[in-house]
Amino acid sequence: MIAGSPPPGRGPSVLLPLAYLILASVAFLVAALGLPWIATELAGHYYHPHLLALTHTIALGWITLAIMGASYQLVPIVLERRIWSARLGRWQLVVLVVGVVGLVAHFWIGQWRGLLWAAGLIGLGALLHLLNIGRSLRRQGDAVQPLGRTLSAGGFVLGLAGLGLTVAFGLTLAANRLAGFLPIDPFTAVAAHFHLALLGWVAPMVVGVAARAYPMFLLAPESGGWQGRVQLWGLAIGAPVLAGSLLAGSARGMVAGAVAVAIALGVHAGCIVGMARGRRRPSLDWGLRFVLTGTAYLAPAIALGLGLVTRVVSGPHVALAYGVLALGGWVSLTIVGMMLKIVPFLVWYRVYAGRAGREPVPTLAQLTWPAMEQAAYLLLAGAPLALAVAVGVAIPVWICTAGTVLAGGAVAFAAALSHVLWHLVPSRAGRAAAAAGARA
Amino acid sequence: MSPREPRRSPGEPEWTPVPKPATIAAIPAARQASLDVREDLRQGREPFGRIMGALDALGADRVLVLRAPFEPVPLYRVLARRGFASWTERRADDDWSVWIYRELTTPVASETPTRPHPVRPASVRLDVRGLEPPTPLVRVLDRLDTLAPGEVLEVLHDRRPLFLYPQLDDRGFAHETDEPEPGLVRIRIHRADPHT
Repeated sequence: MIAGSPPPGRGPSVLLPLAYLILASVAFLVAALGLPWIATELAGHYYHPHLLALTHTIALGWITLAIMGASYQLVPIVLERRIWSARLGRWQLVVLVVGVVGLVAHFWIGQWRGLLWAAGLIGLGALLHLLNIGRSLRRQGDAVQPLGRTLSAGGFVLGLAGLGLTVAFGLTLAANRLAGFLPIDPFTAVAAHFHLALLGWVAPMVVGVAARAYPMFLLAPESGGWQGRVQLWGLAIGAPVLAGSLLAGSARGMVAGAVAVAIALGVHAGCIVGMARGRRRPSLDWGLRFVLTGTAYLAPAIALGLGLVTRVVSGPHVALAYGVLALGGWVSLTIVGMMLKIVPFLVWYRVYAGRAGREPVPTLAQLTWPAMEQAAYLLLAGAPLALAVAVGVAIPVWICTAGTVLAGGAVAFAAALSHVLWHLVPSRAGRAAAAAGARA
Repeated sequence: MSPREPRRSPGEPEWTPVPKPATIAAIPAARQASLDVREDLRQGREPFGRIMGALDALGADRVLVLRAPFEPVPLYRVLARRGFASWTERRADDDWSVWIYRELTTPVASETPTRPHPVRPASVRLDVRGLEPPTPLVRVLDRLDTLAPGEVLEVLHDRRPLFLYPQLDDRGFAHETDEPEPGLVRIRIHRADPHT
């Protein structure tokens, strides 16, 4: 038993994670709205400047900014650590946004020289994130207990290592574009880079957050023990083995790495199913439905990934379909669901926490717009699957149709978030508090 | 508490005598305050305000001996909510004494009456485990306004509530956190001493 009280002072920053999450949502909206416009390119090979621009808008603008923003909220909640420097987090965001815009723009126009400085900025932004979160995790002076070997802590540490590797490899690829010093073909390099990002950075963060945040929202028992160890070790071994084997051209290594990752993510999905079944929460809100639907996308993504690595299926269209299922299905729907839980809390805390207990304030549910969240769910839940099928068969009209549905879902999601964010406007907050008082 | 109020609800067990707790048996007469509300009730006056006023003025190491013409069962719930314990004595059918006190942390040694008694402030427990955020935060903040001086709100939580601490600091509450067992975080909240 370690006793202690935190020193008086400011609590976790609310505006910092909100800024990341809002900008990430803008990137998601831009990427989704762009889908119908590049349907023809999506029906071709994935190594196309416009598709690389789209992929990096999703991977860096949407997914990475969302994970970083969520980290700035969830490190205090999930890992019970204060953020080392909110100011550094703000500078990091500026550097990253400039870098991502520059990178995507240069991919789009195919200017490789400009790509290098943009990649350098992203590398700097990632370095600042590693420094800030790394120092936050190390601070234990005012903590109740050491960080320990929890699944959440392991996921965060593994994810940070994966981010460092992914960015370092990405910078190397950008430099190689100009100097051509790597003796590997660009398709293999892109595949290794993609898997380092997905399985080294994104997957451990999702696993780490899910271990504590999902039980908190589902009101379910936490998973851990051997299941946690399988998830962490599977990703810790599988991701680098898969990426390394891709670069080395080792078929056996690729299969071994892919199987390790598949087992880890399969156990992860099983734990979430167990939580959903064992939950005390009687009904699921739309955020949780998104999270569970996103988890369901793991099944086809893993199946297709194993099919690709064992060469049961092959080709750029199948590879693109696999990418859509993983990034558009599993990761994106999970992030959408988490945002529908996190953003209302941040806004509520920012606007109403200081008044709670002193005067009637709106509940968290009263900040949200369930009808719009439902519309977003109806449009987004099946759209990645439809898009995966469409790019798999490479029919532009199908891609355009699925992309339009997905874009409609992204607009509904943005509208639902905007409804919550509107409470940050003082006049709106005053009216909501008055309405809560009238109800009370 | 009213003379028209039923003294004991139907179905409630009859009063049975229990031994006087050692904690109050050791309290000397000098630290006993008395309040007799029998005449108020006979005159039809509501004594609740007088009782609460006497409790507010009651020192942490003192006991209030309340005299009433019947056993004031409804009062017990109010006392418990405010962190007081009580022991009831029937002197006669229409003469009851209720000893109201704050629980002591350690047994009082009767052979050392001059030693100051270590007293733990009255504690109210609030269990917010298993609730979805921000419900735990709201429950705690809702409870703060009714926290009496010297009273401690003991919150049982699943995790260390980093978003709660700044709210407590802003509202002038002191707090200590510990983890009595793995997975259980306990936060003890009380009004901060304005002189510290």
